[in-house]
This record gives sequence, C-alpha cells and structure tokens, in this order.
Amino acid sequence: MSSFSMPAAESSARRPRRLLLVLGVTLIVATYVFLVILQPTELTGGTGSAAALVSLGGFLGGGALLVAGVLPMLTTSSLVVMPLGIALNIAIGQLAGSLGLQIYLDAIGTVLVAVLAGPAAGAATGAISNAIWGLFNPFALPFAAGAALIGLLAGLAAKYGLFRRLYLAAAAGLVTGAVGGLVAAPVAVFMFGAAGSPGTNAIIAVFRSLGDKLLVAATKQGLLSDSLDKIVVFVLVALILHALPRRAIRQFPFARTR
Amino acid sequence: MIRLEVDAFSYDGTEQVLVGPVLQVHPGDHVVVTGASGSGKTTLLRLLAGLTGSDAGAAFTGSITLDDERLDFAGSEQDPRIDAARWSEQVAYVAQGAWGQLSMMSATVGEEIAFGPANRGVPAGQLRARVDAVAESLGLTPLLERDPRRLSGGQLQRTLIAAAMVQRSRVLVLDEPFQGLDDDAAAEVAAALEVLRREGTGIVVSAPILPAPILPAPILPAPMLPAPIPAEAAPRSARVLALAGGRPVFDGSLADARTAGLDRFGIGTMGDPPAIGEAPERPEPAAAGAALLELRNVSFRYPQQHGAPHGTGLRGVGFSVSSGEIIALRGPNGSGKSTLLQHLNGLLRADSGSIAVDGTPIRSQPTGSFAAVVGYLFQDTDQQLFERTVLREVAYGPRSIGRRRPDAERRAAAALDEVGLQAVSQAHPYELGFVQRRLVALASLLATGPRLWALDEPTAGLDAPAREVMAALLRAHARGGGAVVLATHDAAFAETVAHRSLWLDDGRIVTQGGTEHG
Amino acid sequence: MPRRRIYNPLTELLTAALLVVLVLVVNRWEVSLAVLLLVVLPAILLSGRARRIGLAIAIVVGPLLISSLLLHGLFFPEGERILLDLGFARVTVEGLAFAAVMGLRTSVFAGVLLTAAMTLDIADLVATMTHCGWNRKLVFIVGSAVGLIPQVALRGEQITRAQQARGLVVGAGLPSRLRALLAVTTPLVIGLLVDASERNHMLEARGFSARVPRTSYRPDSDTPGQRLFRILLTLGVGAFCLTWIVLVVLT
Repeated sequence: MSSFSMPAAESSARRPRRLLLVLGVTLIVATYVFLVILQPTELTGGTGSAAALVSLGGFLGGGALLVAGVLPMLTTSSLVVMPLGIALNIAIGQLAGSLGLQIYLDAIGTVLVAVLAGPAAGAATGAISNAIWGLFNPFALPFAAGAALIGLLAGLAAKYGLFRRLYLAAAAGLVTGAVGGLVAAPVAVFMFGAAGSPGTNAIIAVFRSLGDKLLVAATKQGLLSDSLDKIVVFVLVALILHALPRRAIRQFPFARTR
Repeated sequence: MIRLEVDAFSYDGTEQVLVGPVLQVHPGDHVVVTGASGSGKTTLLRLLAGLTGSDAGAAFTGSITLDDERLDFAGSEQDPRIDAARWSEQVAYVAQGAWGQLSMMSATVGEEIAFGPANRGVPAGQLRARVDAVAESLGLTPLLERDPRRLSGGQLQRTLIAAAMVQRSRVLVLDEPFQGLDDDAAAEVAAALEVLRREGTGIVVSAPILPAPILPAPILPAPMLPAPIPAEAAPRSARVLALAGGRPVFDGSLADARTAGLDRFGIGTMGDPPAIGEAPERPEPAAAGAALLELRNVSFRYPQQHGAPHGTGLRGVGFSVSSGEIIALRGPNGSGKSTLLQHLNGLLRADSGSIAVDGTPIRSQPTGSFAAVVGYLFQDTDQQLFERTVLREVAYGPRSIGRRRPDAERRAAAALDEVGLQAVSQAHPYELGFVQRRLVALASLLATGPRLWALDEPTAGLDAPAREVMAALLRAHARGGGAVVLATHDAAFAETVAHRSLWLDDGRIVTQGGTEHG
Repeated sequence: MPRRRIYNPLTELLTAALLVVLVLVVNRWEVSLAVLLLVVLPAILLSGRARRIGLAIAIVVGPLLISSLLLHGLFFPEGERILLDLGFARVTVEGLAFAAVMGLRTSVFAGVLLTAAMTLDIADLVATMTHCGWNRKLVFIVGSAVGLIPQVALRGEQITRAQQARGLVVGAGLPSRLRALLAVTTPLVIGLLVDASERNHMLEARGFSARVPRTSYRPDSDTPGQRLFRILLTLGVGAFCLTWIVLVVLT
C-alpha cells in the first residue's frame, strides 16, 4: 500500500444524521399546522405575537436542524458549489432589481445547486442563503424554511429528469412555487402583517377588498406570485443547464447520473 | 526526485491527449513545459500534481515515481487513487485562473496562505510562524493584512504560490503562471519563483512560448522593485520540454531550445515579432477628411469609490484615426490605455470633449447601439461566451445588430474559417483552450463586421500561430478600409503591425509618431 | 475605517436575537417603542457608522412600512369604525392601529438585527465559528458565500458590459429583459462553475477533508467573560419569558 494512494471506498461524504432531519421536518410541519389550523390569535383583534414567536422559532429552528442533518452527507464537489449558489441568489436578486424585473429571481442559485448537487444540497443552500441574507435584510430570515423546501423540491424534480424539457421544468416550477407560497404566507402574515413589496401588497389588497381574511388573502397572493416567479426561475435554470459545457457538469456525480 | 512517465492519456477514451512524454525534476531544477495551444501542457502538469482524472473518466497509462515510491497506472479501475492532501505536501500545484484557487473565505492574504495548515489543525502559533516564513521568501510580508480579492495580478499569483508552498513542498508545478500578467507583474512572479528554486524547490512551469533567460544577477531586493529582468524569464540553467500534439518534440537546455527551430511546432520565443513579412505599408490617404474616429480634448475621471479613485482617468486626449490605419496605444500600466479604449464604443462616457465614430458623436445612446460600427475585444474574453456551440456564439454578434439567423450563421461560419476554427464550430466554447476561446471572440467581432476595432491586449496569452493569425487579420481589416486601435504591451507586435503608436502616461498622450520611434 | 472591536460577534448576534424574542414575548407597543428609542437608536449613534446603518434600515424598512400602511389603512374588512369611505376602499381605525403596531414591531425586528449585523465584522464571525468548533463545512459555506457575493456582483457587471459591447440592448418588455438576464447569467454561471471545479481540487489538496479540528489564523476575540455573559443573558431572558407567559398571558 503506497503512502500516497487511498482506498477506493473512502469518500468525504457520510450518511445524513437522520434524527436531525426528522426533527427538523417535524418542527417545520408542526409550526405550519399550528399557524394555519389553530391560528392562535385571530388577527382582527391582536397582532399575534405568540404566532410571530412560533413562526420565527419553528421555521428558523427547523431550517437549522435540516442543515445540521444534511451537512455530513455533502461531498467536496457539492460543498464548493453551494456558496456560489448563495452568492448568485443574492447577486441576481439585486441584478433583477437593477434590470427592472417585476419578479424576485432570488432562488436561481438554490435551484441551480439543487439540480447539480441534489435535493439535500439544494435544501441546505436555500436555508443558509436566507440566513446569510438576514445579515443584510433581516426580513429574509424567517423565510429560511420555505427556501429550504424550494431547494428540496427542485432537487427532487431534477432527480426525476424534469429539467430535461422546458415545459416539464415550468410545471415543476409551478408546483414548487405553489408549495413555497403556501409556506411563506403565514410567516409574512404573523411576522410582518403581510407587508411586502408594493406589487405583492396590491394583490393582497384586491383580495382584502373582496372580504378575505388576511391569512387567506396572503396565501392566495403567495400562490400567484411565487408560482410565477418559480416558473421563470426553473425555466431560466433549465436554459442555463442546457448551455453548460459537459466539463462543468461532469464534476457533479448527482447531475452526471441524472 | 519526481519522475513522470506517460505512455498514454485520454479523456473519455477518445483522442489521445498525451503520448510518450517523460519528465524528471530534481531539487533546484527549473523546467519549462512549452507547446502551442492544445499540445497537452496542462494535462501533463495535472498528472504531476497527482490529478490523474480517474474520477472524471480519464484513462492514464504510465507511472509516477516520487522519491523511491512508484505508482503504476494501467488505465483501469484497480489503479491507485492519489490522496490529494498528502500528495500536495510533496508536490504543490497552482492551476490556471486565479479565482478558483482562492478559498474566498479569507479576508486577508495571511488567512488565505494559512488555509491549508489550518485545515490540517496546525496550532495557531505554528500557523503564524509558517505563514510569516513563506511570506518572507516571496516578498509578501507587507501584504499579509490585505484583502486577497483586491490584489494586483502579480501579487495575487504570488499569494497563490505561497498558499500552495506553505507546506514546504519540494516541487512546485505552475500552469501558465504568467498568463494575463503585464511585464512588471510577470517579472515579480519570475523573481519569486527564482527565490524558491534557489532554496532547493524543483520548479515546473508551462508556457505557450519560450522564455528569455535571466541574467545571473542577485534578484528580489527586499522591497520588490520592478526587477530589471525580462518578463517571464527563466534561469539560464532551465530545461525545456516541448510538446506538439501531445508528443515530446524537444527535451534539452533553454539555450539549445532557442536554436532548435521549435517555431515549426508553433512555439515562438519571447519578444519575437509575428512572422508576417515586411513592415506595414502606409495606408492610402483617406477620402477627403473622413476620419473614422475623432477624439477632441477628451477628459474623464472615475467616480470615487470608498474614498479612493479606482483608476487613472483621461486628461485632454485628442487624436483621429482614418480608415486603413492601425494605431497602437502604449504606455505603462495604469496610464489610461484601457480607459481610453472603452470610450470608443461608449462603455465609458467622457466628462468633457467629444468623440465621433464614423461621423456619429457618442452622446447618450446605449452602448449596444454602437456594436455595428465598433467592435470591442476585451482582455478577458471569457466574460462574454455563453452560447452552447461556437457557431451560435459567433453568430450572436450579427444577430444582435439585427441580422436574420441564416445570414448571421453564414457570416459566423465565414469568420470561423478566417481564424482557422471551422473544425470546432459545433464544440462548446468552454471545451476549447484559452487561445482558441480568444480566437472565438475575435471571430465574433469579424462576423459582426464593424469598421472600427478596439482591441484590449489582443496578443496576451496567445501562442505564436494565433499571434500571427491576429496580425494578419488586423492588416487585412485595415487594407479593406477598416481601422484598428489596440492597447498593447507587446512591443514587437505593435512595431510590426501598427502604423503609429500613441504613448500614454497618466491619462494624457505624451508622444505621437510612427512605430519606428518607439 | 479601522474600528476597535469590543465584542465578539456571537455576543452581539445573541444579544440582538434575545432582544427580538423579548419584544415579541412582551408584545406591548410601549416596550417596542422603548427598545427602538432607548436601545437601537443609541447603538446606531455610538456605532461609528451611524449614517450607513441608518440608511440601510431606512432602505429595508421604509418601503415595507409604507406598503403596510396603504394595505391595512385602506383595506381592512374587519374594521368597524370607518373614518373615510372611498367606495373601493375604507379607512378604518382598526386598520390604522394594526398597521401602526405591526410597523413598530417590524421596525424593532429589523432595527435590532441590522444594527447587530452591520456592526460586526463577518471575517471575525467566521473565525469565531472556527474557534468554537463549528462544523468546518458550514463555516466554509458561510465564509465563502459572503466572500463571493461582491465578486459575483462585480463579474455580473463586467459581463453586462461585455455583452453590451456586442450589441446587447435591454428593451422595455419582460421577454427582452429575461433574454438579457440569460445572456449575463449563463457566462456568469459557467465561469463560477469552472472556478468551483478548480476550488474542488484546491480544497482536497489543502487538506480540507482532514478529520482533526480546524484551527484559525485569526486570534479568538471571545473571552471567558463574554461566554459567561451569553449564558447568563440566555438564562435570564428565558426565565423572564417563562414568568411573563405564566403570569401575564395565561391569567
């Protein structure tokens, strides 16, 4: 045995910490159920401070548990691409603003990582991305669990080859966006009273003027705008993937076998 | 101390990239691996660095011997897999392209150099001592607290060398370390390598052209001054391994290599003019005062960023270029060459004075609207390649100025023919080598068909054949009634190709005249 | 600007987070206002970069407050005391009150966290994570992402210029803008992935897969005093919250 060679089986990736994953997912689901079904404080009277605490703690904590569970299974090749995805999320989010686009496009990096390195890396990228973004814009912080979910769903879509066809990618984006919108709505409502950009608030205002409760109006708005945003993001990522040289894809075992 | 024998190497089991080269490095050796683009230099260096590509489907047959340990490879599954961490303790490797070699998580040069030992758990006190020692030898001590992302090219390259060498590896392998560096920066890096070599490190460097020999004088004074040695130099004792098409065509001393007629393999020598015959003929006098480009008293200042201006501006620059002319912009780094060039198509807008291209003054039109008249070649061409085939890439220019797809593709095919890339028109631009990617960018410019070309360091990093293609295309463009303005450090190229040179210093023109005065 | 560092980043972040929890638990607008005026404002003024932090808070919070005021001020179907009926919208007392209370809470949330984030040195935070023995993969992802953000933005800008020089003109419509975005994003992503592939080899060569605890070149800015302070603060806030919930909320 040479001192420079290593056994073929060794690899830096290990199994995920299943307990942490299960705990994280349970916490996120429990938080969502608590917020939507029990609706602790009806928003007509108070401002739902308990709900705010629960959504902050539950979604942030759940995201953190997920990341902790996923970390051991990340190989170096997924590790180097995750910071890139996070930086892309933030930089393209800003670029989209400067180009005057009406959609956020702030999940391009998350979806790209998910497609190249798999659902686990995608979920972790989404969660960490929002945590880092929280350093520049604290309002991103409570949405960490939603961002992780988007990374996870995008990775699953890639696993089943949905990024090979544009219309399939668009459909996957629609579903992912809808799920993302559903999860994000209670956070927006209970943390910030559904305040967002003027554009999204105009949509909420329309539903409110029709008599919807705030949570219902925000959920409908989330379904609408997040779906649109994720359709565009998924199609853009599919187009970028199409233009990538094989050499760039070959370094990712997940994308290679896709 | 290390010996690499390559029987054969191929990616994806297709074409053989390397056949037969043997490379041996001893302490204090300086070996230059040279060859034209696509000759297999990078692959050879990566093998030395222990990157046999087995995880990416490459097949390597041959052996690597480090001291008395011999690893044999048969291109099969049972081949040894090299442990990169342990290998790098003996053989340090600095690849092409600086950004991929930075961890990006270090706020200071010191942290970046310490990245490797910190990963290995070296205690803090020892960590500082090791970083200080390697920084001292490479003249990096004053830079230890600087942000690695804000260094000059030469400083960055030396930082990467330090980060790779902090383990005190005995062999240092560098893939085209001088690419994209100007003369001063290249001299700075060459001096740092010479220090390491004199400390006993075996140095292996790849280069598209043969370096000039260093005079045997003491170098690298404590505060690094621009050394009075030729850029990209190698010591007199350097050995040369020349490759052509993956096969070794020369193995011997640098002095012998310079007289071995390697130019028939597309391997030129530093400082040689491009071989395209006689000096440029004066252009025909342009039709009654129709200057293609006219600058009058142009001044420009970069906006202040974080308190410090981020580049030299321009101060009252005026000149004109008529059709048929090739003008070289010359001068030291930071004299304003690139700044001036970027005014010619509206990438930068003058604060005062006027610029007219083909009679149209540049005012507030979008930059993209000048693409039909002014073609711009960036120093870093990789920033524009984005299509999935070379043909589509080259057709993007004509398409974006409004030509229909069949017409654009016809023009693209013709342009690829002119730069000699017709064979790879269906390849992905990123599957090509550096030189070919630059030629793709040039073809893109040709296909769009602007009359004025603005070229930023067009010959940087090119091998001899590509440099000749560039020179020939420039002359043909001028003869056809176009005009060229090029910013360049390549004196031999400017003197052979340009009709006159404008010398810039600190944002103003200091001398105008024929190239023979330069 | 060089600024002498007094507190470890973890201390700053934890204090900010516990302050947010406190404000949410107590849930009185008087407390929110008091924290804003007595804690956040002095902290900003003493930070040495008051203008930057103030501007950042204004940019982040301002639009949110305005759109919240418009949304709830005009459209609050649950509201009964109507101040002004515009037909399509009604200004109600309840809506305005809701917007005010939510706005105040949002401002405290953003104000506290942004002040903490903008006074801490991210490089120091990354070093602290290493000193505390956090997972090296997580430290790499966070540190490298933060380091890449300005780099990615800069490259995006350069690519935009390169494409403009080739004739890219961004039109007004959404399709034209998306096409422009694709023309910029694709080379950006390719370039970053090529770098990442090289960084992959670099990490392996620099022993990133080693199993021993990582060390840090930067000195540890943490002190036993601050460690004790963090533990006491956490326990204190926890105890207070429990008491508050039992005594005030449940009775």
